[in-house]
Amino acid sequence: MPAVPFERIDANAPKTARRDPILVVDDIVKRFETPDGVLTAVDHVSLSIAPGEFVGVIGPSGCGKSTLFNVIGGLLDGYEGTVRVAGERVRGPHPAVGMIFQEESTFPWRNVIDNVAFPLEIAGLPKAERYERARRFVKLVGLDGFERRYPAELSGGMRQRVSMARTLAAQPKILLMDEPFAALDEQTRLLLGDKVLQIQQQLKQTTLLITHNITEAVQLSDRIVVMTYRPGKVKRVVEISLPRPRSSEIVSSEAFGRYVAQIWSDLREEASRGLDDEESRKLREADTR
Amino acid sequence: MAQTGGLTLPTAKPWGLPLRPVTALRVAIIVAVVVLWEALSASGWLYRDVVPSLLAIGQAVYATLSDPTFYFHLGTTAYEIGIALLIGGLSGLAVGLLLGGSKFMSRAYEAYLYYLGPCPKIIFFPLMIMWFGVGPGSKVAMGAISCFFPVALNVAGGMREIDKVLIRVGKSFRANTWQMVTKIYLPAMRHPVINGVRLGLGVALIGTLLAETKLSNRGIGFLVIQAYSIFNMPQMYALLIILFVISIGANTVIGRFGGLDEIRRS
Repeated sequence: MPAVPFERIDANAPKTARRDPILVVDDIVKRFETPDGVLTAVDHVSLSIAPGEFVGVIGPSGCGKSTLFNVIGGLLDGYEGTVRVAGERVRGPHPAVGMIFQEESTFPWRNVIDNVAFPLEIAGLPKAERYERARRFVKLVGLDGFERRYPAELSGGMRQRVSMARTLAAQPKILLMDEPFAALDEQTRLLLGDKVLQIQQQLKQTTLLITHNITEAVQLSDRIVVMTYRPGKVKRVVEISLPRPRSSEIVSSEAFGRYVAQIWSDLREEASRGLDDEESRKLREADTR
Repeated sequence: MAQTGGLTLPTAKPWGLPLRPVTALRVAIIVAVVVLWEALSASGWLYRDVVPSLLAIGQAVYATLSDPTFYFHLGTTAYEIGIALLIGGLSGLAVGLLLGGSKFMSRAYEAYLYYLGPCPKIIFFPLMIMWFGVGPGSKVAMGAISCFFPVALNVAGGMREIDKVLIRVGKSFRANTWQMVTKIYLPAMRHPVINGVRLGLGVALIGTLLAETKLSNRGIGFLVIQAYSIFNMPQMYALLIILFVISIGANTVIGRFGGLDEIRRS
């Protein structure tokens, strides 16, 4: 096994991409009205991604990472700041952005091939072309042979791969993933991570991955943006200089372990703040009852 | 499974019957009803001909089915129910989509539907006769009114239960409103919609036939009440049996529509 180069984690690593970025998130602030007052979910968050780059966003529950996902995906408005895709300002879902959701999101009434062909159907592609392309992406995620099966006949990991193929079939310039493997077990998650690495190498897919899983983030990312607990700010950006092509075997390397430890030391403080907050809220709720 | 040893599951039918126990019970109740019916008919305890023998009923069924005027009446009723289902179903679907899609609309109007829904619609019949006449028009109106409520309520409820992430998926692929409705909302709601139509068909049958028995000059309901007024009991039973079979058939057909993908999946 080749020696894994390990570079010192640099607290001053550039927050932004070095090449011309394809996605620029500039100074986003998103607040929600709640019964307890105004909650700032995302607080002046900026980041940018260069073409072909894989960036992970990691943070404890309640750091506003899903809010950020919805803002970039154009599913949420009423925020301050701007999101630009290839220089164009995002207002509503942008054709160059593809989203993969955390929840089970395959259409139960469509079989695998029709699920994957869905965005192409929406875009009005002729039938022959969309099935040809859908078949290609079903194959890419390794589900060839299952084209005629319905989601209920597949495992959770397979269904998540269907969602992935469906989003990739639209050939987005930027792929957004919101904890896509959160509902899966650890082993399936690592293997699906391999699949993502392989696909990313094949397609040179620019990707933004939202996750709370440190292993997953280090395994897949070129850069990791660590976020603070409420309000969600960028705490630190960590460059992951692990060699590519990677596979899940990298999790056993020494360098990998050091990255995980470093990110955990950043995250730990935030996660425990979140936990304290949660516990004191529960206490208050119990008192008022 | 291990093939060793002589252990086999008891696949032989109990008591040596050629039927499964459930089927045997089902057949038994039919046999019991037939025997009781014949006994009652032969006993003469009830007023003459109120319980005619099954033979007489069978003959009446045959006579009815071979009478061409019966098909004119059957056609009339089928036409009335079909149009009623179409009008009531489509307007119920539209209203259901509106109420299910907007919290505001549902809070404003859904209570009306809840309270009017279970109301006996026959009270509108005199009004419908005045509006649409004695002919099929008033029967269609009765069927449509009956059918509207269950369809609207089921569609509204079904729409609220759609998995929200599926809607976000549609939006993220930039589906327009028409595509959202036809490719996400309606297929995601297929079970409540089919269920609503099935309930709607049931009450449309009731509404239409009840109206026909009250005041009309054609249709199956009219035939039933005519048989009653000339005290032709076997004819009346024959018509009821035919109606019964037709409504079971219609229900089965609608149930199949909604069940197809489930059958393929299980």
